[in-house]
Amino acid sequence: MKKTKPAKEENLKGTFVSVMSVGVIIIVMWVVVYYMYVAR
Amino acid sequence: MIAAQDRKLALWNIGVAYIAFLIGTLCGLLQVFIRNDALQLPSWLDYYQILTAHGVLLALIFTTYFIFGFFVTGMSKSLGSFGPKVLLYSWIGFWVTTIGTVMATVMIISGEASVLYTFYAPLKASGWYYVGLALVIVGTWISSFALVGHYVVWRKAHKGELSPLFAFMTITTIIMWIIACLGVVATVLFQYIPWAFGWVDTINVELSRSLFWYFGHPLVYFWLLPAYMAWYVIVPKLLGVKVFSDSLARLAFVLFILFSIPVGFHHQLTEPGISNFWKFLQVVLTFMVIIPSLLTAFSMFGTFERAGRKNGGQGLFGWFTKLPWKDVRFTSIFVAMAFFIPGGAGGIINASFQLNEVVHNTMWIVGHFHITVGTPVAMTFMGLTFWLVPYLTGRKFSKVMQKLGFIQIITWTIGMLLMSTSQHILGLLGAPRRTAYTGYNNHPSALEWFDGILTNHVTMAVGGSILFLSAMLLIYIVVMTMFLSPKAELEADFVEFPMADSDKEHTPKFLENWWIWIGIAFALIIIAYAIPLYGMIHHAPPGSEGFKTW
Ligand code: HEM
Ligand SMILES: [Cu+2]
Repeated sequence: MKKTKPAKEENLKGTFVSVMSVGVIIIVMWVVVYYMYVAR
Repeated sequence: MIAAQDRKLALWNIGVAYIAFLIGTLCGLLQVFIRNDALQLPSWLDYYQILTAHGVLLALIFTTYFIFGFFVTGMSKSLGSFGPKVLLYSWIGFWVTTIGTVMATVMIISGEASVLYTFYAPLKASGWYYVGLALVIVGTWISSFALVGHYVVWRKAHKGELSPLFAFMTITTIIMWIIACLGVVATVLFQYIPWAFGWVDTINVELSRSLFWYFGHPLVYFWLLPAYMAWYVIVPKLLGVKVFSDSLARLAFVLFILFSIPVGFHHQLTEPGISNFWKFLQVVLTFMVIIPSLLTAFSMFGTFERAGRKNGGQGLFGWFTKLPWKDVRFTSIFVAMAFFIPGGAGGIINASFQLNEVVHNTMWIVGHFHITVGTPVAMTFMGLTFWLVPYLTGRKFSKVMQKLGFIQIITWTIGMLLMSTSQHILGLLGAPRRTAYTGYNNHPSALEWFDGILTNHVTMAVGGSILFLSAMLLIYIVVMTMFLSPKAELEADFVEFPMADSDKEHTPKFLENWWIWIGIAFALIIIAYAIPLYGMIHHAPPGSEGFKTW
């Protein structure tokens, strides 16, 4: 029996980088306010 | 095109929405100038009166009517024309809501209800203000049940089938809304109305605030979910692709039923009457909402990348340039989404228990909700308006209108960037929200707040004015496409309802078993609220008399 080749993986690298950037924005904003809190 | 009667219903809803938008944004403009001491109001008009009108008309009335206009159109499009009963109840709902709106607005204008849209006790408005608000809610319930009825008829005729995505999402939003409103209805009927009419002397303030915020947080999801519907169902069609994942979309929506309600204490983190344990529990549940939010972000980027690559985009970000930027229906919603990234991040900060102390009741909060409801939601609705109104009236959306549409969203973007950035910074410095002009007794640290490039009075006034001009441009577009633009005659001139296909073969059926989600939602609500609310009633603080501070 011949193995059927799996369909070519869709390229979603841009999506991956984009969602990671969203995560980074969240963390950066959070840390900024966190340090303001600690500093007060 | 959907049935004429359904179109009429939707158009009336959208019409009222934009009347509220017109008055509400005018109030916004006045607020900016008053806060900057550039405008003195006549003695019969008061800052807090205007601010109440702004909050009520934009956050409650504009959103609600627009949402029902969108729901009616989409439900008729995806499930078929409304039957006579559905139509009848939708109209009853519309009129009950409208009577309530008029009552509340009249009380605000006559100076009997300057208690802001959150109407915190012990500020006391005329009883008719609360009656008006109660009618608004009851009216939306009637309209909601009409849509649920329409859906039930469809389900009966399509046994074993998952409903179309638009209908599924509408029903999710409605279920959440009905459960959420129980809190506000309870406090208005049993606490505010008897107190405001003088049948009882005092009110349990802590209980009233808690019941309000039990409603107040899901209220923001009632605004947001219809915007998400546009993102999930409309945007892919504009891009020429299918919904990224039907199961993911449905899962994200049901998670919002679960996690948007048992979290209201995150608005009350500074209140002494609730113990830290319950606050912490609700903070944790609040953070659960990040899951469906990030599912949504992922699915949007995935949709963009898939569409961009289909159009020949190469490399890591080449797809980005291949998106239909010249289509105002898409670009508006894209900008709306972009605003939601810092908006959502700000929300996580607000809800982070101790960090809330940094921002609580400051201008940061005002900045925050203008880049959540004020732009992501409102600008998504603008993007929908550009095709929804001409679709419903059968008029053309001309090239000129498309240009004006672009000017409108660009000006809103600029105005909002100026205004909300300055509000965020002012808030971090400590400037309070909900305050008319004050010189802070010339205290140097307060005066310094307004020295920044972004936080000075001129920047804010410019931002607010640009926003108002943008709002008026939108009103012009709405009036044109509603009443004046030429009727479409050629096939190509008709505006379409862009609803994307969604592959639901692999979607698990249990996602549409509502009893599961309603059951878990109530379980979470009971866990999060039963004991603290019982405590507030059983160990009630001495009640408060009403105050009229204006
Ligand atoms: C012309 C555009 C707008 C301008 C210039 C504007 C301006 C303002 C300002 C200056 C405040 C803060 C007042 C204070 O805390 O003292 C405010 C509050 C508020 N705005 Fe806007 N806004 C605009 C559009 C919107 C939109 C589209 C929405 C929602 C759909 C919205 C919702 C709110 C809400 C809920 C409040 C809080 C009211 C309260 O504290 O009770 N605004 N707005
Ligand atoms: Cu909230």
